[in-house]
Amino acid sequence: MRESQTTGNPKAVILRIQRLSTEDGPGIRTTVFFKGCPLRCLWCHNPESISPDPQVHWVKSRCIGCRICLETCEHNALGFTDDRLHIDHCRCTDCLSCTYTCPSTALESFGRAWTLDELIREVLKDRVYFETSRGGITISGGEPAMQAPFAEAFLKELKEEGIHTALDTCGQCTEKSLDRLAQHTDLVLFDLKEISAARHKNFTGAGNERILHNLVFLASQMKSAGSQGELWVRTPLIPGYTATRKNIEGIGRFIADNLSDIITRWELCSFNNLCTHKYEELGLAWACRELKLMSEQDLEYCTAIAGGSGVDPSIVHASGPTRVLSGGDSVAHSSYAGLIDDEFCT
Amino acid sequence: MSISTTSKTLFQVKAPKGLSPRITWLRDYYFSGAKRAWNNEFTAWTTGTPWDVIFDEITFYIVPETYAFMQTFRSSMFQAARRVSLPAGFWSKSLPERKAFFVKEVMVNYVPQEILPGDLIAGARFNVQTSTCWTRKEAKERDRLIYGKKGARTTMKWFHDHGYGNSGATSGHIIPGYEQALKIGWKGIYEDIQARYHSLSTSDKKGPKGEQLKAMMTAATMPRDLAHKYADACTGLAAGEKDPARKSELAQMARNLRRVPWEPPRTFWEALQALWLTHMLIMSDENYPGPGVSFGRIDQYLLPYWDYSLAQGMDREFGKEIMKCFWIHANTVYDAMIRTGNQGITAGYGQLITLSGMGAGGKDMTNDLTYAMLEVIDELSPILEPKPNVRLHRGSPDELLDTIVDMISSSQGSPFLLNFDERSIAGMMREARMAGVEDLINAGNVHDYAPVGCLENTMVGNDRSGTVDNNLNLLKAVELALTGGRDLLEFVDPITGKRDRIKQDGPETGDAAKFATWQEFWKAYEQQTRTIIKRCVDLYEKSESIRAEFCPTPYLSCLIKGCAEKGVDITGGGAELNFTTLEAVTYATTVDSLLAIKYLVFDNHECTMAELIDALRSNWKGYEVLQAKARFKTPKYGRDDDKADEMALNVMNLWCDETWRHKTISTNRQFRPGMLSWNYWVGDGFILPASPDGRPKGQFLSNAICPSNGADINGPTANMNSVGKAFGGRSREGSGDWNGYVSCLPNGASHTISINPSLIRDRQHREKFKGFLKGCIENGGSSLQINMVDADMLRDAQKNPENYSSLLVRITGYNAYFTSIGKELQDEVIARVSHESL
Repeated sequence: MRESQTTGNPKAVILRIQRLSTEDGPGIRTTVFFKGCPLRCLWCHNPESISPDPQVHWVKSRCIGCRICLETCEHNALGFTDDRLHIDHCRCTDCLSCTYTCPSTALESFGRAWTLDELIREVLKDRVYFETSRGGITISGGEPAMQAPFAEAFLKELKEEGIHTALDTCGQCTEKSLDRLAQHTDLVLFDLKEISAARHKNFTGAGNERILHNLVFLASQMKSAGSQGELWVRTPLIPGYTATRKNIEGIGRFIADNLSDIITRWELCSFNNLCTHKYEELGLAWACRELKLMSEQDLEYCTAIAGGSGVDPSIVHASGPTRVLSGGDSVAHSSYAGLIDDEFCT
Repeated sequence: MSISTTSKTLFQVKAPKGLSPRITWLRDYYFSGAKRAWNNEFTAWTTGTPWDVIFDEITFYIVPETYAFMQTFRSSMFQAARRVSLPAGFWSKSLPERKAFFVKEVMVNYVPQEILPGDLIAGARFNVQTSTCWTRKEAKERDRLIYGKKGARTTMKWFHDHGYGNSGATSGHIIPGYEQALKIGWKGIYEDIQARYHSLSTSDKKGPKGEQLKAMMTAATMPRDLAHKYADACTGLAAGEKDPARKSELAQMARNLRRVPWEPPRTFWEALQALWLTHMLIMSDENYPGPGVSFGRIDQYLLPYWDYSLAQGMDREFGKEIMKCFWIHANTVYDAMIRTGNQGITAGYGQLITLSGMGAGGKDMTNDLTYAMLEVIDELSPILEPKPNVRLHRGSPDELLDTIVDMISSSQGSPFLLNFDERSIAGMMREARMAGVEDLINAGNVHDYAPVGCLENTMVGNDRSGTVDNNLNLLKAVELALTGGRDLLEFVDPITGKRDRIKQDGPETGDAAKFATWQEFWKAYEQQTRTIIKRCVDLYEKSESIRAEFCPTPYLSCLIKGCAEKGVDITGGGAELNFTTLEAVTYATTVDSLLAIKYLVFDNHECTMAELIDALRSNWKGYEVLQAKARFKTPKYGRDDDKADEMALNVMNLWCDETWRHKTISTNRQFRPGMLSWNYWVGDGFILPASPDGRPKGQFLSNAICPSNGADINGPTANMNSVGKAFGGRSREGSGDWNGYVSCLPNGASHTISINPSLIRDRQHREKFKGFLKGCIENGGSSLQINMVDADMLRDAQKNPENYSSLLVRITGYNAYFTSIGKELQDEVIARVSHESL
C-alpha cells in the first residue's frame, strides 16, 4: 500500500481531503492529510494519522448490527458484545475486507492509496474558490515528508497549475526532504511545539534538535534563494504540557534570535479535544482525555506572553476552540493561568 | 496580535437596533399580533346573491394543508361577508367590469381608512375577500367545472394523494410595472387605456376587448380615489393633533396623497407612498395577501426620487424612517389570518425586493439607496417582509460584499437571499431562445430581470410566469418505472379510510424485474417522466381555464404590459411574457434513487430488481442490509463526483426538455422549468413510498436543487459545484446560454446551505467567506440562502421556544421563525445544520 516510489503513476496513502479548509493557510484551501507521522505527541488530535497504513475503525452511529463483518473477517479480529464491535488490533491486519462488506460504512478505513493523477484531479475541483479567496492547497498530516517523493511530485504539479501551495510539517525529517518539498511550496507552516529538548522528547518521543536545525536551515534556504515563500511557526498550546510561560517565551526568543527577518506569523493553536472518539474507535488510550479546553482568557494570557517574548507582537495570532465559562466556574477553578506559570508542571 | 477562536458564546439571536421611538412603537405594535386593537384581518364582501362565492379555492390548490378546509372556507366567508350595495345595471355589465367596480367600491367606500400613530405611509387595510361577482349562471357553470367527477378539485386531489404533487393557477408571483406607474402616474396609465379603448372599432368596444379596457379604466381610478380618502383622514387627524411636528407630518401626508399615486411622484416620500398604495391594492384585487407580489429592482427605480429629495435637503435618516414605515406595512399581510395561531405569521408570503445587481454591459448598479435599504433591513431585523434578495455578480463591489457578510454573520444567515446574476441571466436567455421571445428578452435588457417570491427569476412589468403553480414530484416517475406504471402502494384516504384500487395510471413500460440492462430501466423512466409531466400539464389546464374565464383581475392587469395592448386580462394570458413554471420537487431523491438502482441492481448485482421492489413495498422492513447499502454505499448527487453529477444532469435535461414541449390551451402560456419546491418535500415524504436511495416512507424528500440530507459529505464547495453542474455547468467563455454560463432553469432553483458560524468569526474568516461567495458566482446555481446557526442553538430553541421567538432560519427560498415551524421541519433544519458542522 505504500507509495511506489519512481515509475508510472506514483501512489501515496492519504488520510483525508478537507475542502473549504480555513485554518491551514491563507484563503480557502483544500488540505490533503498524508498518513504517517514520525512523532508521537501525547496530545495528538489526529491519532489516525500516525500509522503510515490504512486502518480499520468502527463508527457506532452507522452500525445496523447485521454482523456481516464477523463472517467476513478471516483473522478472527472482530467480536460483538454489548452492542459494540470490538476490533482486536493485535489480530487485525488491516486487510480492509470488512470495510468492503459492511453495508453501512460503519467499518471504514482511515486512509487509502491515491494515485498522483487521481489526487490532482480531486484537489483541483475547488480551483475557483482558491482563485476567488487567494487560497490554495495545503499538504499536512501526519507528516507529508514521510512520503516525500510523492509529496514533491504533487506540489510540483500544483505549482505548474499555478496553485498556491502550503506545507504543514512537524520538521522531523531529513534536511534534504524538507528542502525538496520547500522548493515547490509558497508557505511553510512549521510546527515548533516545545523549546526544551528533554521535554520535547518526553512529549513526542523525539528530541527537538533536528526540528530546530531544520527550521533554521529552511529559513536560511528561503532567504538565500530570495524566494517569495513565507514561513509561519505554529505552536500547540496544551495545558500542562506546552502551554507554559517558559516554553512560549523560549520559542519566542528562538524566533527573535534566529528567524525574526523571515517569519511572518506565529500561531498559537489552543488544545482541541474533539478527537476523543477517534481514540476510542482505534482502541487507543489517550493521555489528554481528561484535559479541558482552554478558556478564552487562558488563550489571551498566552498570547500576551508570546507578544512580550521578543518577537514582533503583530506576528502573534491565536486560534482554536475555547470553552465558555459557565456560571458555576470560579475564575480560579476555570483558568489554566496557574498552570501556565508553573515551571515544574508535568 | 489577533485572537481567533471558535468558542461557544451564549447564543445571541439578532435583535433590532437604532430604531427611533416611532419605529420602535410601530414594530412592537406589529409584533403584538392578535392583541392589537387594529389589524389587517380579512374582511369579506358580497353582492348579496344567494349563489355568491367569496373564497376562490383555486388559488390554494398548491397548498395541500388547506384541502380539508376548502368547503369550510367557502361557507364561512360567505356567512361572514357584508353586503355591498350595487348600482343599477350592475348585472348587465361584463364580469371584468363588475369585478373592477366591486373591488373599487369595497376599497374606497367600505373598508375604513386608518393611520397608525406616527406612521408616515398611508394604506392600512387591504386584506379583503371580495365577491367573485358571478351571475347565477356563471356560478353554476364554474361549480360544475370545480366539483364535477372530472372536475378541477377531484383531479387535483387525486394528483396529490397519489404522490404526483400539486398544481393550480395561483395569484401573485409577479413583478408589476411599478417603475412605469411611478413615472407616468395612474393618470398616465388611465389615459393610455382610454386611448386604446377609443381606438377600438365600434364592435370591439362592445366586445370582450372593450369590456376589459373599461374594467381596467375603472380599476385605474381606484388608487386615486382611495388616496383622496386617506388624504381626508390625514387632514382630519392633523386638525386634532397637538404635537406640532406630528401635525406637520400629517399635513404633508395629506398633500402627498392628494397628488400621488394619480400624478407622478416627485419626492422620495411621495414615491414610497405611491408605491405602497399601488402595491397593496394588487393584494386586494387578487384577494390574496402577499405571496410573491414583488417589487423588482426597487433600489434602481426609486433612486431618482431618493437623489432628488436628498438634494432638496431631506435628512438621510428621515428617508430611512419613511422606508421603515413602508417595511412595517408590508408585514401586515400576515394579519390576514391573524387568529389562526402564531399571530397568523406563516412565513409563506414573499413580497420580494431586489437590491444591487448588474446593469447594461455588466456594470454594477449598487448605489446609495442600496446601502440605505440594507441599513433599514439591518436595523429592523429580524423582520420578514419585504423579503430582500441581493443580486451578486462578478463585478459586485467589495463594500457590498463586506456589508452582506457582516449582516449574514450577525443574523444567523438571514436576512436575505442571494441571487447570482450570471447563472440567472443565462437561464433567462435560455428561456428567450426556447420560447422564441428574443424580442422581449435579449442581451440588451436581460440584466433587468428580477426574482419574484423567493428566488424565481422573471422579467419585470410584463411577465407572468406562474412560478409556484406546478409542483411535480420527479420521484413518482421512478416508482412508476419500477412497477410498469402502477402505484407501488394502495392509497388509503387518511380521513375516510376509503381505498383507491391500484390501477394502470402510467404507460405500461414493462416488468422492471425482467430488464437486463440499465438502459432498459432508463428508457422506462424516460417514458414515465414524460407522462407525469403531461398529467401535470393537463391538471393545470383545468384550474387555469377556469381562472381565465371566471376570475379576472383588472386592476393587476393595468400594471402588466400586454394586457391593455391586447385588451386581455392577465388571467386570460394578457401579459407580454406569458409563462407558467413547472417546479420540480424531489430532484436529489430521484437522482440518488436512479444511482442506487444502477449501482445495486445492474453494476454491482447487490440485489435483483425484484428484491429491490419488494424492499420498497415493505418500506425496507426485513431489508435493512440492502437499505444500508442504498444509503451508504451508492454514489450520491452533491459530492462533486462527476459520475453521479452526470446522472443528475441527465435527469435535469430529460424533464426540462419535456417541460418546454407544453403550453396551456386556454391561455397559451408556455411551460418553463424551475426548482423551487417550497416545503412540499416535507409533506409529500409521507405520501410517496420508500425510494431506492434508502429513504423510507415518512422521511423527507430532497429539497429543491439541494443534495439529499446528509449526502453532501464533501462540504459546501462540493455541494455548490454539484449544483452548478446540475444547472448545466459552464462552457467556453462566449458560448453557453450567456457568457460561458449554462442554465437549464430560467426560473432558477432554491439552494440552501448551512455554514458553521466559525467560518465568519473574525475579519480574516469573513474575507474567506467573501471568497466563497465569489466562488459561488462562478460555480454555483442561480441563488443561495445560508443558514448560519449552530445545531446546539437550534436544539436549545426547540426546548426553550420562549427565548427564541425571533430566531429566523431559512427553509427553502424563505425565512421562517424557527419556533413557528412544525417539529418535523425543525428536526430537518437541525439535521442539516449538524451535518454541516461536522
